[in-house]
Parts: sequence; C-alpha cells; structure tokens
Amino acid sequence: MQNAPSSAPSSRPIPMSLIIMAAVAVHLPLLLMKLPLKSYDTNFHIFFASHYVHHWFNPWNPKWYAGFSQTTYPPLPQQWVAILSHLFGLDMAYMAVQFVAIVLLAVGVYRFSLLWVNPRAASIAALASVFLGSESFLVYCAGQLGTTSAAPIYLNGLPYMYEWLRFGSKRSFLKAAVLFAAAAAAHHATLLFGSIFFALPILALVFFDKENGERIEVPTFVVRTVAMAVVVGTAIAIVLLPFWIALIRYPVTQMPIPHASRANYILSPEWGINYFIVPYGALVLALPFIFMRGSMVARLRPLLIGFWVAFLCGIGGTTPAARIILGRAFEVLTMERFSYWATLLALPFVGLLAAELYDRFRMKAVVGLTVAGALSCALGAAWSTIHPPDAQDFKVESAAAWLSRDGHNQYRYVTLGFGNKLARLGTLSEADSVDGEWNSGRMLPELTQHGAGALSNSKGFGENGLDALRAMLGHADHYGLKWILVRDPYYDALLAFAGWRPVDTLEDRTITVWGKDGIPPATPLNAPQVPPSWQGLMWGTLPFGSSLLAILVVFIPNKRRNDEDADETVADEQDLVHGGLVS
Amino acid sequence: MNSGRLLAAVLAVATVILIVIGTLYPGPSATYYAGAQTVLRSSSTPQAAVENLGDQIRAQAWQKAYDSLANKAQFSEQQFQHDLTGYSPSLLTYATVNKVDIRPLHASDSEADMRLKLNWATVVGSSVTTRDVHVVKNGSRWEVEWPLVKEPVVPAQVMAVNYLRWDVIYRGGGDDWGAQDVEAPHIKIVDMHPVERAEGVVILGELLNEDVVPAYVGVSATLLSKTRATIATEGSFDKISHLLLPKQVTPFLIRFPGVSLSEVGNILMDPSSSLIAASADPVIEIVNEQLNPAPDPSLTGQLINQSGRTVNVAHVLGTFYDGNGNVVWVADQYVDQALLPQTPVPFQVKIPEDLAKNISSQRTVISSYTAGGPQ
Amino acid sequence: MTVRLAVLFGGLTVAMGQMALGQGGAITVPKTVEAGSAFSIQLSGSGKGTLFIVGPGQALKQDVELGGTASIAAGSLYNAGHYLAIVSGASATESEGFEVVPAAQPADVTFLAKPSRLPVSLHAGITGAVYVLDAYKNLIVTPAPVSFELTTPSGAVQKRTETTKDGSAWTAMDSTGQQGNDKFVARVGDISSARVIRQVPGDPCGLKMTAKQAGPKVDVATEPVKDCSGNAVPDGTIVTFTETFHGGLSTVDVPIKRGIAEVEMPVHTGATISVASGVVMGNQIGLGK
Repeated sequence: MQNAPSSAPSSRPIPMSLIIMAAVAVHLPLLLMKLPLKSYDTNFHIFFASHYVHHWFNPWNPKWYAGFSQTTYPPLPQQWVAILSHLFGLDMAYMAVQFVAIVLLAVGVYRFSLLWVNPRAASIAALASVFLGSESFLVYCAGQLGTTSAAPIYLNGLPYMYEWLRFGSKRSFLKAAVLFAAAAAAHHATLLFGSIFFALPILALVFFDKENGERIEVPTFVVRTVAMAVVVGTAIAIVLLPFWIALIRYPVTQMPIPHASRANYILSPEWGINYFIVPYGALVLALPFIFMRGSMVARLRPLLIGFWVAFLCGIGGTTPAARIILGRAFEVLTMERFSYWATLLALPFVGLLAAELYDRFRMKAVVGLTVAGALSCALGAAWSTIHPPDAQDFKVESAAAWLSRDGHNQYRYVTLGFGNKLARLGTLSEADSVDGEWNSGRMLPELTQHGAGALSNSKGFGENGLDALRAMLGHADHYGLKWILVRDPYYDALLAFAGWRPVDTLEDRTITVWGKDGIPPATPLNAPQVPPSWQGLMWGTLPFGSSLLAILVVFIPNKRRNDEDADETVADEQDLVHGGLVS
Repeated sequence: MNSGRLLAAVLAVATVILIVIGTLYPGPSATYYAGAQTVLRSSSTPQAAVENLGDQIRAQAWQKAYDSLANKAQFSEQQFQHDLTGYSPSLLTYATVNKVDIRPLHASDSEADMRLKLNWATVVGSSVTTRDVHVVKNGSRWEVEWPLVKEPVVPAQVMAVNYLRWDVIYRGGGDDWGAQDVEAPHIKIVDMHPVERAEGVVILGELLNEDVVPAYVGVSATLLSKTRATIATEGSFDKISHLLLPKQVTPFLIRFPGVSLSEVGNILMDPSSSLIAASADPVIEIVNEQLNPAPDPSLTGQLINQSGRTVNVAHVLGTFYDGNGNVVWVADQYVDQALLPQTPVPFQVKIPEDLAKNISSQRTVISSYTAGGPQ
Repeated sequence: MTVRLAVLFGGLTVAMGQMALGQGGAITVPKTVEAGSAFSIQLSGSGKGTLFIVGPGQALKQDVELGGTASIAAGSLYNAGHYLAIVSGASATESEGFEVVPAAQPADVTFLAKPSRLPVSLHAGITGAVYVLDAYKNLIVTPAPVSFELTTPSGAVQKRTETTKDGSAWTAMDSTGQQGNDKFVARVGDISSARVIRQVPGDPCGLKMTAKQAGPKVDVATEPVKDCSGNAVPDGTIVTFTETFHGGLSTVDVPIKRGIAEVEMPVHTGATISVASGVVMGNQIGLGK
C-alpha cells in the first residue's frame, strides 16, 4: 500500500471550524426542535436544574421522596442549565448546554485522537464524533446530560495529562487537574471509569513512547503519575465533598433494580438493538479493523485494550465480563454509558480507517462513509421516535395545575402509569411526591427494600414494584400521601380496595385523580440526610466554580516545544503503515 | 504468528467465549429480561417439558406455549390464553407470572402427571394457581396436555336490577358558617382486641355502620407505650371492607410489625367515615362455606354474583370467632377470577394453623370491584 | 392598600413616640360607643393635629382642628372591643381609651343544630346552640331570651326557652318515635333561624323471616322490616341470611328492597337458616329432613 504524499491535500487534517459547522448543521436543528425532551432522562436533569433555579445554595429538594438531597448527583451541567434558564427558559437552556457538550466533544476527540494517530485521522475522528450513534443515542434517547458533558471535558483534559507526564509541563498539569475536577463535577462515574478506560492507556502510551530514542525514566514517570493522582483526587474530593459525604454516610444499599441494558442482547434481541445496534451503528462494521489494527500496531494496543474492556462492559449481560469487572456497580449502573465510552475510544481507529479508505477509494469512500455516518446519527436521533421511552405521549400541565391549586399541594402525591413524565410533572407542579426518578437519592424504606424503580411504573417491576407500591400506600397517613394520579386503570382495583376513591378526572378523562379521606397534611420529614448549610454553600460554589476556572485556565497559552518534540507526540506515519489495509 | 496477530486472535476468541458463556449461563439480570428464551432446554423429560411451558407462560409467549401442547387441536390459542388469564377482565388479566413451581405426581415411560404451580404478581398481591397436567411422550419429546377449563356460559337473559343507589349533595362552598351540612355516617367499633403474633402486634376487630346511609370507612390505630409515648401508627389498608351499606359489618386487621405487646400501654383507635355515593348492587352470595381443619386449615366456599354485571375482582374477608364469640383472626383472599352473573367461583381463605383449633365459627363479607365503577 | 396601612402605622408610631414625651393634655371621648353609631371627640389645644383611633382589626386616621370637635361618622367603628383615641398636635400628644360595644338589638343568630340525622326515640339526641349577633356580627353578650322550637313529623312541638350567657345559649331535645323531618327553629326577638333534622328509623326490631322451598332452592324472605317504633327500616339496609348445615355454611348480605329482604339459598336437609341485621338477631328456621 502506498501512502499519499504528506503534502497532498488529502493528508491535511479537516479544519476544526468545518467540524464545528458540521456539529451545528447536524445537531442544532434537532436541539432547537427540543428532541431530547422525548428521552428518558432529559426531564430528570431539567427537574434538578429547576431546583437550582430557586434554591442554588440549598440542595435539599422536597419534591421527590418526601425530600432528598441533590448532593447525591454531580451538579455541573444542571447548574449551567439553571443559570442559562434565566435567558432561555429551562428547556432551551438544557438544549444550549447539550449543544456546547456536543461541540466540546468534537474538540476533545480531536485532541485525544492526536495522541494516538496523525492529525488527519484525528480530525476525521472528530468529525465522526458529530455523527456518532452512541452520542445521538445518549443525547436524544437516553438524555444523559451528565455523561455527555463530562466525557468531552475529560477528553480535553487527557492530552494535558499526557504532556505533564511525558514532558513535565506544569501548565499542562494545572489544566489537566482543573479539567478533571470539572469533569467530575459534571459526572463522577465518567471520571472514575474514564481513569480505567481512557487514562490507563495514556499512562501506557507515556511509558512506552520514546523521546530521542529513550523511554521516560521510571522514577520520573511514577512521581508525575502519583502527583497527578494526588492533586486530582484532592481537587475532586473538595469540589464534590458534599457528594462524598452523602455517599459515605448513606451508601446505596438498596435492592438492585433491573435495567434492560444489563440484559443478554442475544437472548433479548430487542434490547440488543436498543443498546448495541443503535449506539454503535455503522461502527459495527469497523470492529474487525479496530481489533486488527489495534493488535498490529504496538502503540495502539493500550487503546485497543481500553476499548475492548469498555466494549465488554457495554454489552451488559451478554457476557459475564461486566458483572465480574464492575462487581456490585453492575447492578447499579446502566451499561449504555460503557458503549458510549467504547465508541469514543474507537474513534481514533475510525479516523485511521476512514483516512485509509479515502486514500484508496477517494469519492466512493467519502460517499460511503458519509452515508454510514449519517445513518448512524439518524438512527440514534430517530430511535426515541421509533422506539419511544414513553409509549403514550401526553401532557402533564393539567395534572400540575390540579396539584398546585385549591390547597391540593398541602398533601403529597404519587403518579401511576405516568412513565417518565414524573420529572416533567415535578418541575411544573408545586406539590411534593413520595416518588421520584433518582433511585440513588431515595431513602424511604418503602422504596429501597423492594428492588423496584419509580412507583409510577410499579407494574413494570412485577412483584417487587407492586410490593413497594403497597408498602407506600399502606403508610399514606405517615407521609401525607393523599393524591394518586392514575393513567393506567390496572391500578384501580388496588386503590379501591385500599380505601382511595376517584375525586376528579383530567386530560379528557385519561387521568383519574384518586383521594383518600382522613389523610393528615404532609409535614417535612426530619431526615438526617438534610445537608447542613455549609454543604449547600460548597455545592453552590465549588462545582460551578471549577467549570469557570477550567474555562479560564485553558486560555493560558502552552509553552511551545520545538518542532521535533511536537512531531514525536503524534503517531509516526510509518507505524501505521504496518497494519494498513491490504489491497 | 506475530504478537499482533496473536493478540487479535486472543481478544477475538476471548470475546466469543465470553458471549457463549453469557448466553448459555446468563446472569440474573439477563435471565430477568430473557424469560423463556434463557434456557436452551429440550423437552426430553416430563419435567423439562412442563418447565418449558411454565417459562413460556412466564414470558407471556402464548403462541410458543400453545404450540408445545399435545392437545392443542382441542382448543384455540386464544382459549388457552384466556384459560390462564381469565375470560373476563380479572386480577390475572394484567398480572405476570414471577415464579413457576413444578412437582411430579406420577411418571411412567410414556406418560406422567405433574403439578404446575404458577405464582402470579397481581396488583393486590401474589396469587397462586395450580394445575395438574398430564404429560405424554411423543417420539423423543414430551408434551403437555393442557387441562383447559372452558369458559362458563351465562344463559342469555334480561335481569332487572333495581337496587338502591345513594347520591350525596354537599352544601355549596359559599354558605355561612353554622349552615347545616350532611353529616358523616355514624359508625361504631363493635369489637377490638390486640393479639401478639410472631411478626408483631396485630389488632383485630369489627366495625358497624349503624347509620341509614352508606359509609366509606377506614380504621387506624396508634400504639402508645406505658409512658404514653407513640410507638407507631398504622391503618387497616386493604384488610377491611371500605364501603359499608347501612347496618353492614366489616372486620378489620391492623399490623404493627416488629412491636411486642408487652411494650404497649394503650391503644388509640381512630375509625373514620365519610359519605359516599354508592349502590346496593352487586349482591354476592357466599355458598357452601366450610371451615377446613389442620393441616392447611382454611375457609373455603363459593361466591355467586346475583347481579347482572360481571364483578372483576372480589375480596373475601373472613372473621373467625372462638366459642365465646370473640374475634380470633381476620384473613382475606382476593379471588383471581371474575364473577360472572349466577356463576359460582370458588375461594379459599387460609387460616394460621396455630389458631385453627380455637375457631368455632366465622363470618364472611365480600367487597367487590367492577371496572368502570357502578353505573 | 398596603402602602396606606404602612403610612398609617408609621404615623401612629411617631404619635406614640410623641405621646411618651408629652402626655397630660385633655381629650374627651365617650366611655362607650355602640358599634356602628356616630359619635364625637372633644379636643383641647389649638392648631392642627391628627386623630388616630386604633382598635381590634380597625385603625382610623383623621386630620383635626385642636380645640374643636372631631366627628366620627356612623359605620366607622363597628368591631366591638377596646379602642384607643390618640391626638397628635404640634407640641403634644394626648390619648384616651374607650369601648365599642355591640348594638343592643340582635340582627342575626347563628344556629348550630346537631345532628342532621338521628334515630327515632333518642333522649336528648338533638342539640341546638345559638350565638346572638348584632348587624356587624359582634356577639351580643348581654343576656337575651332564646326560644327553641322543635316540630316533629307527627306535628307535636317541643319548646324550650333559654337565656343567653356570654352571647350563647343551647338546648337538648328528644327525637320522637316517628321517622321524618323535624323543623328546629331558634328565635331571638324577631330574628329566627331554622334547621331540618331528619329522624331515621332505629335498629330493626323483631326481625322475622319465612322460608318457602322451591326445588333445589329455598326462598327466604323477611317480613317487612321495622324498628321498635314501627317505622319501616329504609331500603338498602343490609340483612344477613346465614344457612348452617352439616359441616357447612352459606351467608349472603342482602339489602332491603321495598321493605323486605329476600334471597334464594340452596337447600340442605337439616340446615338452619338465621337472619340478622347489624347487631340485631332475628328468628331461625330449620329445614326439614
């Protein structure tokens, strides 16, 4: 195989401005259409953000679970949504933050890929990130703002970590530490697992890479690595201190809740399509190349191993690997984020593959790759319409208005059959609920002891869900739980036998409000989980402050190393020829 | 083979092996979602044939389950499904099977009898249906002969239903203070006493609507310690008939798990009642009631819906008395079949074995739920 | 409104401050004023001043000429209670307390009659409580005679007269033997208020049934179900039939319809059928062998 001369136009990287324009062209219209509102978790993040709008320094939110602490979830993207909501309103503020995350991802993928492959392949990888099926899936179907915000910040920080470890650049050290802290403030799990999937391969790369024919000295490597780990660990510990306090004092010990991402995708092909085919899209076709090239090129092997482990975790219960690697976390985390990380790790390979295909097939390759990318992106974006998280779309405004009027909000409520409209209703109404969608934040024993998720979907969790519902209804007096808003007549028999009566109907009689006589008005629970005010102050300043600091420090110019050094930080073209496509 | 190719081969082979292991021996999460497709088990034994059928019923794979039956020519797939989930909407219609138990009763080389116990998760709690199935050998495979219970046929007829209905008109919100309103129904606790069980304190009793209007009732109790500190407050939840017509009596049972009677100094009872629009229809007759002694003591009988509308869910509440007429226990059962007009449906209320010997009489009340409510 | 009140109370605070500095002037206020009536206040001194009147739920402010008379219009002060009149002049502030008392003439009675529904023949089962009020809803605490009159469905009338104490009076009356609606009237002077009390039948009395075998079933029906005063127990009341036979039992809760409860039960030779309603037992019938 012959490589194109380096001076040929085809060997030049795609300009970043063009990549960002592609991101604007593809994602901005979808976000302006508010497509993510149809996803599983978008309204969850908006619900959290709506609390920060009114109570920036008080993370105790009484609207779910009769009160829970929002320090149980890293706040950064939600706080940005809260800030921007003053300009755009909550929905559009969410879209704005999500859009920034998408653009940052393209930049982050480019910078991360540059560590492994040449600038041209890295730029193609960055362009591919715009069309990545898993990104579309997480943005438009899963609504995982935390994950999709943290990953780009983290990816942008990793090259600085490389520069610190490899060359001892103090400015890079500062930038990496601040960016990692900000990434943790956006999503802690990304940083935790990112350390395994993303950072360990880079450590290996630093260790095995040669400068002037010599590897980094082991003591230097160890000292720099430990220094980075200590400083970043300390920064994250401080920035998210209330989170760690909540986690240590009230660890998540509740019964595991089933999630379809942990299914075996062969035995349950419907979930295989949802959690494998849709996120990977055309990337599935690149898997053989990834394995072959990753194995053949010694420099790419750490990246391949990182990808492989993330890939195995991402296919959930299809193999026992995720259960073995993650332990109890397997029963707590959802697996689609691992597929997301796996696809991000695959992008440098995709860049290489695309560059080589272009070198060989020119326009045919461009057309083919464009179609493959467009279809992957389109499938991820359209999946929330093809396979909607909520089979029935309906408005909750009337339910919110009902709960907020005539003193109804003196009592707590539960919805049944509302799907993932729970967060939307929580955002819009002034009443408090004993239910919610943030399972790790709940402490009520009726909810934690039965291995079921939201009461609103009790039926979907079988016996566990119905046991939890009956336990909660049995303690209605204690929680001031008077109103049950029902959109599924399946529950009517239970409510009738348990002493509730229909009191009103809403939305053209599709929602029935049930009430129970003799329930005392709800009173605030004297929960030990209420964070003290100093934690509220920290929560309102440090995570958000870390993002502001990150914005400032990335503008500090790096010292320019000489050209030779720079050339050695990227992959040698000759290295890559070794595993090139066989003509 | 160079090291690169070896690594690629190792990763690829390891991936395939892991996928094969994960598919042949799926973990709990994978099994939860895979249902019947989890187990790649052939029907090479009577046990395996019934297990496969049970798994298919659990996964609601009705067609697969129907196709596996030996006697499927005798009925349609729809009849098979309705035989399991009810011909009319009932508790089982929307329930799911969460556990299947199989017990062999008899086996030979060519046929076997097995007991199939399906544990359903219904909205009001778990419900067990038991079917004794005959399994026959067909070549190398065993197939289940399903004992279909055909849909009961209600003869065509016109039933005049002219029972009373009560409606309530409340005073307007703008009336002055002191203006007269309709009074809540008068109810009275006619019996109440606490008992200590292994699970904790249980309060048993009976509540009478002594008024001439229907009452929607509930009872809650607060346990006070000897120093009059509150130990716990609990309500009767569904262990009571909430709708009481005039002069109707309901038992109630309130559980206080984890509380010992020796800790209790006093009990505050709080019965509540409110007016409700109600109908005297449907009338449900309880026939052939029998107290069955230990082992497995129970109250059995049949319910006959005397009205013209199908009752979707019936709740049987039994009050058990000793020789002196004191309440010994209150037990209940939700009937998982719909009550068609004039069609007997059996029920069985289980009684704790240690209490059965003290029981000399009982009284049964029925509360019912009809989808769409009274019309 | 909020701003006006703030200004008023601000001025009042200033006036109170001045009053602390220079009390001792003369202001003549009637000791008692009837609620809602007009009256005047004599002011000493000269020049311009401000009159404040503060009382329960009310505050007035008026510019006045010192040395003259300040007139308070009818309807200005209507809440009964203790008031304070304060006059603030250029050099001194004077104050005087006075009472606003309810009007002597009752204008309204609040009549609480309980219960709205009760069984027949219940001694002292009906209670009525009256609060006598003037036109401004002030409780008239001076004793006044209140006449209670209960007209029962049979036309018989029970009368009581009570005198109010601290503005209220109450009485208890008996329900009579006949079901129907009572008219319960409370009267103070020309003012009256009426309530309707419903007398409902009591527990069934002498509950009796008959049985007639028809093939494999036995028709069981009560005689017209009445209470001990002979009133028909209302339709819808539950009657429980229990058939006890060898080792078995059948029960059915039947609502009374057109005065009787009726049901078909299976025939079991040697069975005994009993009837009950609430806590009242009826007769038993044995089925022949």
